[in-house]
Amino acid sequence: MNFLERLNTELLFFDGAMGTMLQKQGIQPGELPEIWNMTKEEVILQIHKSYLEAGCDILKSNTFGINPYKMKNCGYTCEALTAKGIQLARRAIAETGKEAFVALDIGSLGKLLEPLGDLPFEEACNAFVPVCIAGEQAGADLCLIETMNDTYEIKAAVLAAKEHTSLPVIVTMVFDENGKLLTGGDMEAAVALLEGLRVDAIGLNCGFGPDVMKKFLPKLREITSLPIVVNPNAGLPVVVNGQTSFLVKPEEFASVMKEIAKDGASILGGCCGTTPEHIRALTEACRGMRPLQVTEKNRSVVSSYTQAVVFDSHPKIIGERINPTGKSRFKQALRENDLEYIYKEALVQQEKGAHILDVNVGLPEINEAEMMEKVITGLQGITGLPLQIDTSDIAAMETAMRIYNGKPLINSVNGKQESMDAVFPLAAKYGGMIVCLTLDENGIPDTAQGRIEIAEKIIREAAKYGISKKDLLIDTLTMTISTGQENAGITLDALHYVRHTLGVHTTLGVSNVSFGLPQREKVNTAFFTIALSKGLSAGIINPNSAAMMDAYYACCALNGSDLQCSNYISYFSALPAQSAVSVQSAAQLTLFDAVVKGLAESAGKAAEQELKSKEPLAVIDEDLIPALDQVGQGFENKTIFLPQLLMSAEAAKAGFEAIKEHLKAKGTVSEAKGVIVIATVKGDIHDIGKNIVKVLLENYGFQVIDLGKDVAPERVVEAAREYQARLVGLSALMTTTVANMELTIRMLNQELPECKVMVGGAVLTQTYADMIGADFYSRDAMGSVRYANELFA
Amino acid sequence: MQIDRKETLRYLGYRGQDIDSQTERLLDEVFTELERDSSPKSICRKYRCQATKDAVILKPLMDEIAWFYSVGSQSETNSQWEVILKSKNLAKNLRGCEQAVLLAATIGRAADFMIQKYSVTNLAKAAIVQAAGAAYIESYVDEIEDEVRTQAGRQGFYLRPRFSPGYGDFSIDYQKDFFDLLECRRIGVTLTEGNLMMPSKSVTAIIGLTSGKQESCWKRSCSQCEKTDCEFRKEESGE
Repeated sequence: MNFLERLNTELLFFDGAMGTMLQKQGIQPGELPEIWNMTKEEVILQIHKSYLEAGCDILKSNTFGINPYKMKNCGYTCEALTAKGIQLARRAIAETGKEAFVALDIGSLGKLLEPLGDLPFEEACNAFVPVCIAGEQAGADLCLIETMNDTYEIKAAVLAAKEHTSLPVIVTMVFDENGKLLTGGDMEAAVALLEGLRVDAIGLNCGFGPDVMKKFLPKLREITSLPIVVNPNAGLPVVVNGQTSFLVKPEEFASVMKEIAKDGASILGGCCGTTPEHIRALTEACRGMRPLQVTEKNRSVVSSYTQAVVFDSHPKIIGERINPTGKSRFKQALRENDLEYIYKEALVQQEKGAHILDVNVGLPEINEAEMMEKVITGLQGITGLPLQIDTSDIAAMETAMRIYNGKPLINSVNGKQESMDAVFPLAAKYGGMIVCLTLDENGIPDTAQGRIEIAEKIIREAAKYGISKKDLLIDTLTMTISTGQENAGITLDALHYVRHTLGVHTTLGVSNVSFGLPQREKVNTAFFTIALSKGLSAGIINPNSAAMMDAYYACCALNGSDLQCSNYISYFSALPAQSAVSVQSAAQLTLFDAVVKGLAESAGKAAEQELKSKEPLAVIDEDLIPALDQVGQGFENKTIFLPQLLMSAEAAKAGFEAIKEHLKAKGTVSEAKGVIVIATVKGDIHDIGKNIVKVLLENYGFQVIDLGKDVAPERVVEAAREYQARLVGLSALMTTTVANMELTIRMLNQELPECKVMVGGAVLTQTYADMIGADFYSRDAMGSVRYANELFA
Repeated sequence: MQIDRKETLRYLGYRGQDIDSQTERLLDEVFTELERDSSPKSICRKYRCQATKDAVILKPLMDEIAWFYSVGSQSETNSQWEVILKSKNLAKNLRGCEQAVLLAATIGRAADFMIQKYSVTNLAKAAIVQAAGAAYIESYVDEIEDEVRTQAGRQGFYLRPRFSPGYGDFSIDYQKDFFDLLECRRIGVTLTEGNLMMPSKSVTAIIGLTSGKQESCWKRSCSQCEKTDCEFRKEESGE
């Protein structure tokens, strides 16, 4: 029988630790254990044999640390080390005559992925590929991706394994005492992602001994429909979080593990500190036991890297604002690559109570796949809400699903064969819940029955790909009542049937219903309310609409899904206070005062007010710049300090944004004083200082091209040339990265001798700056403004 | 654990200015969110230590070797490795120490995430997170050091000031050795290509343990740092 056949029918046992055994054999700290596959193969072979003798069913190959980063300059290729690792396990099986599987053991790359770290997602995927290919070729029976603590890296590893091998895949993770991954992601989010990726079993390893893992098991079993693996530690010679880990003896280990088996784990084994004695005690204690039946939990769930959102009786809000349709400012932001504008839309909706954010960045004149990739990556760095990938461009959809750190909501598929043929394979591969529009080759049926039939067709087609009803979200299509008053009824009847008779979750884009009518929000709110009562699982709405959110909270209180009306109560108790403050402050302050006091909202409103009677240029010269100068001087004289300077800068920015909108409405654009390229140099990933400089320079009217952090010298030169920048600003935080700063300056001097360079950052001094050939050293952010003003005067 | 407000303000370049109610509110909001979302984690390990003129040599402790003996029944172990850290400043710091504790600590990724988020919506808040995160990790490491001090005290040891890669001539390249010795992945700390730690609010350090009390009492302070024009330099005081 192969591994998958045995997986659900009997308890299976992994071996124990490899690292602990190697340490006993005198491996040095920093020495790569996998090199021993080549240099001390007898030792590895012997360890495998002792685990086989102890009764394990699955050997973990000695390949945990093999990846291009750790094995750089080690003298062997990843492929050769992996192949040898698998061969040694195979040989141990052959020489002992035991029956056992070999798991290709894959560990973490030890690097943090973008956007928080410096490793791009595709590069992470590629880093796992050679090991996967070599492992399968050398005869592995399955892949074990273990000791993982970041869902994004897990996704990269699983994709590598799935795309390059046909082996079953098991993933085990390290959770902390709060049941969270080190990324802050919870168990539900991780399970959603992994079930979406269709791995074969999931579980826990390392981190804790069996007693703590036992506590996690009920929760894990409640949320997963997959077989569970438990590989705990038996002890470590280090103090983690102040806890000395005492050695768990084999008998004690085995007795807790037996409980864990009773609680529903299907595969048991050991991690750090476990030995053949532990595994022998374990297999003996569990002899004759059978695994609990694995049951389907039928959870409809999407996730981000940090949290899961479950579709249930409590309806969800999908924020619709990240979408250029009918929004000229948004279109402009997309064309100008002004992602910050988009990110703000995201965070405002989050603040207003959205559970999921729809992301649509389609414009005919831009490359949608590229933009989607940028926006999704950026959003994942600032919000923990799950995202809904909204596009009709299949290439953009796949790109987004691939780099998405979680199980996304996909918007959308419809009843056309062509659409289903394109979307379902992607969902089957990457996971996701799918919004299904009830239209097909013949258009949108004008009866509820017609739409229900399309829903049924979609459900049947999805099943062919192994996509069950739980992962569908049927949209029975909102049509405007101004073209036919029966429209609302058709949509709602179909919705009710889908939710209650077909038993599938539902969604609607709500606001279409009022198209062509006055006071649209009133109609939308009423329609939304009725839809919620008919069984709407998720409304795609504008969370900034107070009327809609009021209705939402009231409905949830009424239908009983908001337990003890607690969301309702906290929503309305927070509300009046907030609006009173903003009304008051906005009414009283002049633009000058608002900027000096650092009140962004007031500054925006005051600027709009000023623009009614003043020319934009006058607003800038008479209000904004004098206010900024006063604040800047205060900062330099140390009468105010950094946060206050920045609040004023943000307030001024809101003022400038109002001017920009004003000019745009008039069909003109403001002219920049000059172009400045700024970047944090290669190797450096801290960019807050650079961001501060950016906002101040923008306030003073410069167009700032921000290349971000960890920027290669070539890219700085390229951008400076492309934008014909007369000034480049470079930031470096570490002594070690100042070398890259020097290199960047040298390249700039060579290629663009007329371009000036200003530098700043924690370790820099005037002497240092002179040494590396900078034209100007800026002690703080205001210094860079002064220099730029002089240069461009 | 609470974030030290005074230290946060110091990192923000505070020099006794008036703090208006709005700034006050931002500070409070950052403290609340950062304390709520951070998950401080640490890892420590003790070694035998020997300082020469220009290097420190670390070896496993005998009781750790015994620990390995006690794992299962396989009794032979060859745990006789050593790691050499070359640095005159470090060697001076650890002179006469018989043991040393290596530690790595982090407050987790929340600070980095918040900095990214607030860089978009509220730069002042981002700057405060930056400062509060720095204050947080420092007090967390102080707390760990206190724990090490208590434990060491029971065995008759006194502590030297903690010393980190990047101090003086102790090259930041030794981060790699810290990561090998401590297995920092267990607390989620990673190194970039340029040997920067991520999450950014993380610290690695070595603390010398000596049985001679007189040699132990110099307190860690800015006075040992060569960057004398640093904006954040603490004034020496009598406390």
